[in-house]
Amino acid sequence: MNFIDGIGMISPQQTLVPGRFPDDVVEYTADFLKCIEPVYKTYIDPIPLRRMSRLIRMGISSARICLADAGIAMPDAIITGTGLGSVEDTEKILSDISKEEKFLNPTPFIQSTYNTISSQIAIHLKCHNYNTTYVHRTFSFESGLIDGMLQLGEGSSTRVLVGGIDEMTLNHLNITRRIGLWKRQPVNNLQLLNSRTPGALAGEGAAFFLISADRSDHSYARLRDVSTLIDIRGSYRRDQAIRNFLLQNQLQPEDIDLLIVGISGDAVFDPVYHQFASDFFPNAPLAWYKHLCGEYHTSTGFALYTAAQILKSQECPEILLLNHKAPSRLKNILIYNQFRNINHSFLLVSFPD
Amino acid sequence: MEELIEKLKKEVIEQLNLEDIKPEDINPDSPLFGEGLGLDSIDALELIVLLEKNYGIKIEDPKDGKKIFFSIRSMAEYITANKK
Repeated sequence: MNFIDGIGMISPQQTLVPGRFPDDVVEYTADFLKCIEPVYKTYIDPIPLRRMSRLIRMGISSARICLADAGIAMPDAIITGTGLGSVEDTEKILSDISKEEKFLNPTPFIQSTYNTISSQIAIHLKCHNYNTTYVHRTFSFESGLIDGMLQLGEGSSTRVLVGGIDEMTLNHLNITRRIGLWKRQPVNNLQLLNSRTPGALAGEGAAFFLISADRSDHSYARLRDVSTLIDIRGSYRRDQAIRNFLLQNQLQPEDIDLLIVGISGDAVFDPVYHQFASDFFPNAPLAWYKHLCGEYHTSTGFALYTAAQILKSQECPEILLLNHKAPSRLKNILIYNQFRNINHSFLLVSFPD
Repeated sequence: MEELIEKLKKEVIEQLNLEDIKPEDINPDSPLFGEGLGLDSIDALELIVLLEKNYGIKIEDPKDGKKIFFSIRSMAEYITANKK
């Protein structure tokens, strides 16, 4: 079995300070939701810190926060998922190339590679164990979780550090806005559903989890299953997939106490979630999270953080509920996320009994 | 020379992102690598780019690097002698 034993979450909310989220929700009116960053010198030595871009700083810090939360110094594996890697470094090196190719600074070039975060965490921890990075767009974090669960399942590791991390830059926002991914105007994150316009509210975040084969006194939740599916032909295969997913986990739809969906305020793609909820879980309390962290490729990291907190506290905050139907018990939580109705993922977490 | 040294200090701080260091904190005669500012091999590459980009000076023989980048003063002397 797999248990979430530690969490490090850097997000646009007060997730760094224990007890402040979700009671103290941060409201924004912005083009995208930007992370509240820690004082990095608390987690990273000043000499290597000066060279690191923001995403790498966030990744190392959230990994260290996670390990401290779990009370361990050295994981058996470090696995990172990122949809875009260090966009800031990539933009810098591309910009330098377009100006004059012979004057290329080595630092952004080195850091623009996707595996920089995983490897920098390993360097900081002096960890020579299994280390890998998944760059599978919206499945990046899920792929990392699946790898981590396989490592635990085959017994090659007992404690794996798995993270999902992505950043947003103004340049990237403006480019991808042209293909309709984002809202055209700044919106209020707590009034996101009132916008009723195409495009999501963009965001970013760094989430790390210490997944352990053994339950401990401070386990947040049991990570039961993760599944991904690419469905380019509508929802037929997805519908089959959720039936199989529940079956494999010996659950009926009514066993799901809370359904957390990736509704992002996008008037074009949000109906996919509503249809899914009404088709399969018509009686389940429905929650969402992207009004708090925004949309990004590894946003299910924030969803998993939220689910783990809910299971540990046995409370679902009002700010997360969509249908104002409070859960009567909190044992099984299903997270469903999709990107453009093509990439679909399911994450199942349960109370760690 | 002193003017160039002060300019170089600012450029090195910016290029290497030495966040907590001010120009007056850098002794122009102190070693840049190992002790002193504690720079490393990636910083050396950054300094090579700086010389080429800002002063048009390309270091042809890598062996010269150790002498050129010993300190801010040695960099300034090399620039003065080789600037095109």
